[in-house]
Amino acid sequence: MTWSKGGTICFFFLNRKAGKESRVSVLRTSLGPSPLNSSQAILSSNTTLFHCKNQLQQKCNAFKRKPSVFLGENQYQEVIMDTQEQELEDIELFQKHVSDRFTELSSPPEDDALLSVSWLHRLLDVFLCCEAEFEAILIMDRDPSQLSKPPFDRLIPEFIERAVKALDICNAVANGVDSVRHCQKLSEIVISALDQNPLGDGHAKRAKKALLMLLSAMNLDDKEGTHVKATERSWSFGRRGVNKEQIAGHFRSLSWQVAKNWSSAKQIQSMIYNLVAPRGAEASGLPSPIYTMNVIMIFVMWALVAAIPCQERNGLPTHFPVPKQLNWAHSLIGLQEKIADEWKKKEKKGMSGLLDELQKMEKLAQSLIDFTDSFHFPGDAEKVKEAAANVSELKEIFGRMDQGLTPLQMHIREVFHRIVRSRTEFLDVLEKGSAPVV
Amino acid sequence: MDECQSAIPAHDGDLHVVAAAHHIVKALGTTKNLSDDLRKILIDLDAHLSLITSNIDSKGGKGFVEVEERLKRVERKIVIWESDRIMIWDSGPKEASDYLEAVDEVQTLIDSLRGLSMNENQKQKELLHRASSLLQMAMSRLEEELIHMLVKHKQQSEPTYIPSPSSQRNVVYNESVVSLDNESAKEASSKNSCSDECGEYIVDLVPEHVIPDIKSIAKVMFASDYGQEFCEAFIGVRKEALEQHFDILENGKLSIEDLLKMEWCSLSTEMNKWTWSMKIIFGVYLMSEKRLCDQVLGEFGSVNSFCFLEIAKTTILCLLNFGEAIAMGPQEPEKLLRLLDMYETLADLVIDIDALFSEDGGSFVRLEFHKLLEGLADSVKAAFNAFGVAVSSNGSLYPFPGGGVHPLSKYVMNYISMFPEYCSTLNLLLEDQHSDVASLVSEPQCGPTASLSTSCPMACHLRSITSSLESNLHKKSKLYKDEALQHIFLMNNLHYMVQKVKGSELRPFFGDEWIRKHNAKFQQHEMNYERVTWSSVVLLLKDDNPGSSSLSKSAFKEKCKGFSIAFEEVYKNQTSWCIPDPQLREDLRISTSLKVVHAYRTFLGRNPAHVDDKCIKHTVEDVEKLLFDLFEGSPRSLRNSRRMMKT
Repeated sequence: MTWSKGGTICFFFLNRKAGKESRVSVLRTSLGPSPLNSSQAILSSNTTLFHCKNQLQQKCNAFKRKPSVFLGENQYQEVIMDTQEQELEDIELFQKHVSDRFTELSSPPEDDALLSVSWLHRLLDVFLCCEAEFEAILIMDRDPSQLSKPPFDRLIPEFIERAVKALDICNAVANGVDSVRHCQKLSEIVISALDQNPLGDGHAKRAKKALLMLLSAMNLDDKEGTHVKATERSWSFGRRGVNKEQIAGHFRSLSWQVAKNWSSAKQIQSMIYNLVAPRGAEASGLPSPIYTMNVIMIFVMWALVAAIPCQERNGLPTHFPVPKQLNWAHSLIGLQEKIADEWKKKEKKGMSGLLDELQKMEKLAQSLIDFTDSFHFPGDAEKVKEAAANVSELKEIFGRMDQGLTPLQMHIREVFHRIVRSRTEFLDVLEKGSAPVV
Repeated sequence: MDECQSAIPAHDGDLHVVAAAHHIVKALGTTKNLSDDLRKILIDLDAHLSLITSNIDSKGGKGFVEVEERLKRVERKIVIWESDRIMIWDSGPKEASDYLEAVDEVQTLIDSLRGLSMNENQKQKELLHRASSLLQMAMSRLEEELIHMLVKHKQQSEPTYIPSPSSQRNVVYNESVVSLDNESAKEASSKNSCSDECGEYIVDLVPEHVIPDIKSIAKVMFASDYGQEFCEAFIGVRKEALEQHFDILENGKLSIEDLLKMEWCSLSTEMNKWTWSMKIIFGVYLMSEKRLCDQVLGEFGSVNSFCFLEIAKTTILCLLNFGEAIAMGPQEPEKLLRLLDMYETLADLVIDIDALFSEDGGSFVRLEFHKLLEGLADSVKAAFNAFGVAVSSNGSLYPFPGGGVHPLSKYVMNYISMFPEYCSTLNLLLEDQHSDVASLVSEPQCGPTASLSTSCPMACHLRSITSSLESNLHKKSKLYKDEALQHIFLMNNLHYMVQKVKGSELRPFFGDEWIRKHNAKFQQHEMNYERVTWSSVVLLLKDDNPGSSSLSKSAFKEKCKGFSIAFEEVYKNQTSWCIPDPQLREDLRISTSLKVVHAYRTFLGRNPAHVDDKCIKHTVEDVEKLLFDLFEGSPRSLRNSRRMMKT
């Protein structure tokens, strides 16, 4: 399965070098062969994380809380210096990993096109890895009171608020995947209708009906106006009065998961709002990984919304500012520009989503509809041959969707649960930090 | 049919065999008591044999005459409906079965034509083409008939017996410990119980008599390889019907962001709705939907579970996400009862969910709901702990006026009196925290005489909560400067607690020992009050000189004056104090009266010579009467009454 290629997984371990302990050391290995394995691997990485967190906690408690018992004043200073240095090193390492991961994402192997199902799997893997490292840097072995002081008393609640917004996006996108699966089901009908030899008018008609439904399911997309309930449709009141194709086209509209007036575009906008890169002294300290993680989260959610049909995407931002001088952000900015370009094209044409498979499916559906429109038994041999080629391409896309979409939904769910958990962890830290010292 | 294909005869001599076989088949076909399947096989065989015959007859093309004839016949039957505005199944059972028969015939013809080797036979190709176009026409029509049928009948199946959520008892417990209000605590909601009323209740989502019609369409469509179209249409209509039922339950779809920001009052309503919807959606609709899917699609392999999942998914995810958002939110104490409702509802349904989604495809639904159940369990524990913390940490800056029953006592006691309804759940969830708490409240109940109900985890937690409440009340009592009022306050509150325990389901969990002990406690405060307030007053009347028979006039006057001033002072103070319980108030007055009036009467009796109106401000009867003004919570002064008495 393609999405595992080049995916990364993090293992945390205690790195003892020259007497220092690093919070995060990341070993990169390639992913297992299936998303199931990937989640297991991530799970095991968390156990490792937990384990080393405990170890570190014990060691550092011994140092920090009772310095006088173990160390003289000068030595204590040294330890503090060491920890600060270590922290800077950790942050640097984290940002290097972020940079590496996004570089890998921006040069996908050939069978793994940008915004394809398998690419999205890799994107989610990147998110999960970065998130785990981020949490390690920020929470592991940290005195909670530090995070309740400025500027963290503002930065962390803001981060948590964005995380909650991301949760709603996860739900909307997971629901959107369902609508892609619906398209996939319709394409299956097209395939079984046209995969015939000899091809007859009946087959063409059957295919055309499914194709019309497919195209309308794709374009139903996020425009609220097209959300028509079946009962309001006219088929139950004398079917002859209405155009049959029209019925078929409107059939089975998307029902939204999130609140009525909820808009994924607005949600992304509000995530971007107020996001400022840290400056001055903050730029090198802990605020910087918080900013990095914010950007990653926004980027991932934004890419998902762009790729997958999602509730109300009109006005989806095509740009959010990330300073170009930030080393780790180069690839991410590159990806952002590419996707934004695609999105601008989409907005003009009104396609259903940037998901590679969906776009290809739409093109194929268009040409197949032209074919079925003009087809009369026995048909032009050349055109029949061309259609057969299209059908086999459609088959291939169907296969990719069939393999990847349900796991994608699970993967999104995994991201959802991860964000929930990380939010809880941060809330715990904040609570501990703000509790009065007894 | 494959065997038949290979058995196409090559010699004329074989024709006789074919003819004989044909004859037998025809004869068999006339037998009356044949199963449907067998009849179909015979019909197929008949068609095939006649084709073979005609094929051999024709020697290369012309002889497809009979096939063409048959095709023309069914073509007429099918095409005629294309121009008709009336739906076939609305026209009558005869029309419907005729149509299905015609479709069967088309399918048979197609099978037979395909079964023959294609020797570049133009006629055969053309017939096959015509037949498959005809089949497409019929399938398209059947799909429409199906949708029409499903849409037409879904409205009539609204179950009417289900009460709306507004008609049930769902008074919302909106108070929080932080914003205590005196009386509202009484409105504490009772458990939202409807599990007994509705439970699992399978209804006919589509009237029973329609099911065979739907099934007959399914049969033909699946036989002709149009199963996908059937599922598409079936899922579409049923999914929408389910979503409409869900809408009727007034579940506002809400984003997690909105839910986390929601005011408790609205959130509580939403939580109630969720509990209700879960019961209806899973217990009634999904159960029924599953049955419908099984009835209609049971014969076609795993399609039924696939369709069921597709129909249910969106609605289920909505319910799931709401649960997630609640489990995620901060667990304030006031959420406890609603969380318990949610937990219990889901715990009851989990077995059904496992059964409904037992297939592989539904494993994620099972998994997610099990996860949610765990999350809700954690939330209940968190809210329970938060409740405990709130009880012990609720602080006040000023003493509670009058020394009456503090709102915190009311809140806590009313709130915990709901817990017995959730006894088994709480016992289950509090089990692991049990040992810590049990050791804190190891009262005699936990000894050999302990009954099961007083030693269960919930009982120990309840007693731990009331003991936090007690210590908090002690803290609050220290805010009174007047020691006597401290005792009144504690007496009132402890008495209230005991009354609440005695008069509710809480009793078995606290046990008689607890009640005895706490009775003793408040009685102790009662006695302490009397001692602190009245001992010094009564002391004023004491005979300094027990030997002599009477006092001097001036000494008597002095003592009288002292007593009056002290009594008036007490009167002024304590009329504003409050003992809300009439029985307790009465008891205290009587015992005070016994003590004070008795001492006063004895004092006056010992000095009969000095007793005249000038010296004595208050007669024994006055004192007796005035004592009854105490603890009414309305401040009075004796200045007015004195004047009144003088005039």
